[in-house]
Amino acid sequence: MPKHNVAVVGIGQTKFRSKRRDVNIPEMIYEAVKMALDDAQMEPKDVDAILIGNMDHFEGINFSEMWCGIDAAPGYLKPVVKIATGGTTGSSLGICGYYNVASGIYKNILVVGWEKLNEGGATTGIITAFDPVWERPSLAGALGPLALMANIYAARYGITSEQAAKVTVKNRSNAANNPFAHIQMPDITLEDVMNSQMISYPLRLHDCCPQSEGACAVIYANEEETKKITDNPAWFKGVSTAHYYTFGCDDLMFDLPTAAIASKKIYKKLGIKDPVKDLDVAEIYEPTSWSELSWTESLGFCGKGEGGKLLDEGITQMTGELPVNPSGGVLSTNPIGATALVRFAEAAIQVMGRGGKRQIPDVETAMGMGFGGSLWTELAILGKDPKPLR
Amino acid sequence: MGKKEKEFQIKWKTDLPYRYSIGKLAVKYFEELKNKKIMGSKCPKCDKRYMPPRAVCANCFIEMTVEDMIEFSPKGTLVGFTVVNYPFIDPNTGGMRPFPYGYGIFKLDGADTYMMHFVDETDHTKFKIGQRVEAVFKEKTEGDIYDIPYFRLIKEEEE
Amino acid sequence: MDKEVAIVGCTQTKYEADKIDLTISELVFEVVKKLHNDLGITNDDVGCVISGSNDFNDGRTIANMAIQDAVGSVRKSESRVSGDGAFAYVYGAMRILSGEYDTVLVVSHSKCSEGDQFLINNSIFDPYYQRHLGLDQISSAGLMANMYMSKYGVSEEQAAKVVVKNRKNAINNPHAHLQKEVSMDEVLSSPMLAYPLKELDFPPYSDGAVAMLLTNKEKAKRFTNTPVWLKGYASCTDAYYLGHRTMTDLIGLEFAAKEAYKMAKIKDPVRDLDVAEVFEAFSTHELMIYEALDFCDKGEGGKFIDSGETNINGTIPVNPSGGVLSSNVAMANGLIRVAEITSQLMGAAEDHQIPNAKTGLAYGMNGICSQGNCVLIFGGE
Ligand SMILES: [Zn+2]
Repeated sequence: MPKHNVAVVGIGQTKFRSKRRDVNIPEMIYEAVKMALDDAQMEPKDVDAILIGNMDHFEGINFSEMWCGIDAAPGYLKPVVKIATGGTTGSSLGICGYYNVASGIYKNILVVGWEKLNEGGATTGIITAFDPVWERPSLAGALGPLALMANIYAARYGITSEQAAKVTVKNRSNAANNPFAHIQMPDITLEDVMNSQMISYPLRLHDCCPQSEGACAVIYANEEETKKITDNPAWFKGVSTAHYYTFGCDDLMFDLPTAAIASKKIYKKLGIKDPVKDLDVAEIYEPTSWSELSWTESLGFCGKGEGGKLLDEGITQMTGELPVNPSGGVLSTNPIGATALVRFAEAAIQVMGRGGKRQIPDVETAMGMGFGGSLWTELAILGKDPKPLR
Repeated sequence: MGKKEKEFQIKWKTDLPYRYSIGKLAVKYFEELKNKKIMGSKCPKCDKRYMPPRAVCANCFIEMTVEDMIEFSPKGTLVGFTVVNYPFIDPNTGGMRPFPYGYGIFKLDGADTYMMHFVDETDHTKFKIGQRVEAVFKEKTEGDIYDIPYFRLIKEEEE
Repeated sequence: MDKEVAIVGCTQTKYEADKIDLTISELVFEVVKKLHNDLGITNDDVGCVISGSNDFNDGRTIANMAIQDAVGSVRKSESRVSGDGAFAYVYGAMRILSGEYDTVLVVSHSKCSEGDQFLINNSIFDPYYQRHLGLDQISSAGLMANMYMSKYGVSEEQAAKVVVKNRKNAINNPHAHLQKEVSMDEVLSSPMLAYPLKELDFPPYSDGAVAMLLTNKEKAKRFTNTPVWLKGYASCTDAYYLGHRTMTDLIGLEFAAKEAYKMAKIKDPVRDLDVAEVFEAFSTHELMIYEALDFCDKGEGGKFIDSGETNINGTIPVNPSGGVLSSNVAMANGLIRVAEITSQLMGAAEDHQIPNAKTGLAYGMNGICSQGNCVLIFGGE
């Protein structure tokens, strides 16, 4: 248990879309910030500190927090700090916000992740994340390596394209219940996915996440402040991070070993014995349909090679024992710097029981996941109280 | 472009140049690459053989130097593949990267880590996991990364 | 703040113009490995890692990816503050304060030699209204210096004294990049870069890295007899557009200093502090920092340097290390200030040691002309 317990008390998200030509960067971020402040019924002056996250090279803005912290958030004469760790930016922000409050330094904090991906080049930006000598010349952004991971996973466990396609059908059907989700394909069928264009074998267009524009803002508070703000907060039970080698090829990382490391750590800390029974819902960071199958295994939801079976048995469906990505997940919405924060926010929404048509009944405990960098995993488990499960 | 498009956007086209240091081990790697040799580094403590060579063994947290460099075979075994079939700007050149192209992850004989590179095959049905691959060198090597433009799939009958 | 977060060891590289033979990973490994050796620890003794760097500066998206092996974060938690290293220190301290980690490695690095500093700094300006006009940190410093000097009647000679002082101090700091004394005349006659500021009113660009280990009260004595404790902290951000700022005063820093002094129970900073290390991005900036830190009254920065109180033997020595004007390691500057204050309070600053230093201030900064401010007050045993 940290020195100070931390709760989510306010949430704002923009509607995520492929292009937000109608607003500039600060205007877009402000939409989410305003919504979060209204949600927590806070005045801008009540905010103690602000964290902002996005990736510099995606939009070509250096020190974006110095601009957006002032123009899009109430950062004037307050602390404004930027956290940027690639795909995990949103979860690194979410976790940094947790420590800002857990440490007792601030009573509350506004955490904002954003990306306006179509204003720059995400694939180009992602390539420059890799070593300029050894990796950049042949790298194809994130999808090339993700395709390799899918290919190895499929071969090792005999997973079929059809099983992967079912993930897309599940998540995009879920997205239809989420007014903020980017891709809206309520009637998507297995055939739609299986017949979509081959992007990078074995990944087809609908096996891949989109590029989205939008922002997510979340307000955290300590116990005393939380009592003043809401009687329905979502408490952090714990957070966990596992990083890995600088070079993505130093190990065969197709099954995301850091997901196993980070999840084992947090399950142990919280006394979680069987995540499928102990968690009520999970929002995981699945950049491709294949990765959801593989990574639900690494997160301990099922045994190795059983990701497809887990899905076929309906366990990860909306009505299953452990629904995965009721929001529609990353396959439906991917504003990179905000993506993992959306996972935490959606987990909090489920705990608060405010998910509307995407709500899972009676959620006590929810997990959110971030994925990024050189195959890093970050996790947060939220619940109706800040205590470990056992 | 419509009037609205023009009004609502502003363009920034500056290219941002960098000059990266590559380190002593990479200097040696490129020297030897010119002689058509592929060099990695071996941790003096745990013997892990790294490709590409680098100065730090992350497991032992000790330094590797040029003296710890060893030669790997240009042949290896494929563990995964894809065929990249989407357009994007290549930050190495500023222009569009030509596609489709084959792309594989494999382990060179003698190495403990994997590497990724282009493979000269764009039909995914021609690849097989576990298949042997080999570095193809340019005829006239220059000591840069493109001395190996791609790896080729070794046909079974060749082995 | 009571004794809750300790710094128990710091390491720095030598700062240089161009460490072309070292990769960023090798540069960072040098300070981390030295820290392990100095403290007699292994990587297993490190709970988690916080780094401070910037993607534009490194020319690499997710710049911290490059240093995972070098900071020893394989299978561990690492996170990266994008910006000045002082803020990375703060995040590290928060992890200790939360009670969830008992040791945190904080690292910051920069290789200014690898990128185009004009373009990198120009990219800090918004792409709609300012960037196309070609503003960067040098031209905006010129604007700020001109407004400050004309409002308060500060002279170019007074500004030059800051450079002379800091460059002289750097001679006794083995880590410093520029270790050559300069005269008033040399500063005043150096080529004009952005009126009224001349070439020598600005820092060089340097390559280097800095690392430190943080721990809690229970563990501190296990590592050293002279831990350095965090006593006060505050951070405060000024307006973004220069036109929205009070360009003649560092308002954000003023607010941050007041709050940090309150937390550290400092009433009279000149008397209560024994030493300060500040991120002075140009000569007159240090004079403005004196005022914002309440070392002197508003507009008195010039007279304060004249008084000699900020010299190494003055009542409140500022930048005994030589400061940023001698070693400018972009994103590491704030963490270097923390490391320098740490060695002063440990009594380990050797040739640039301030005798009996017990309480010190470190100031780190983000953005243009002191926009993002971080004030840290430390106390020795
Ligand atoms: Zn080793």
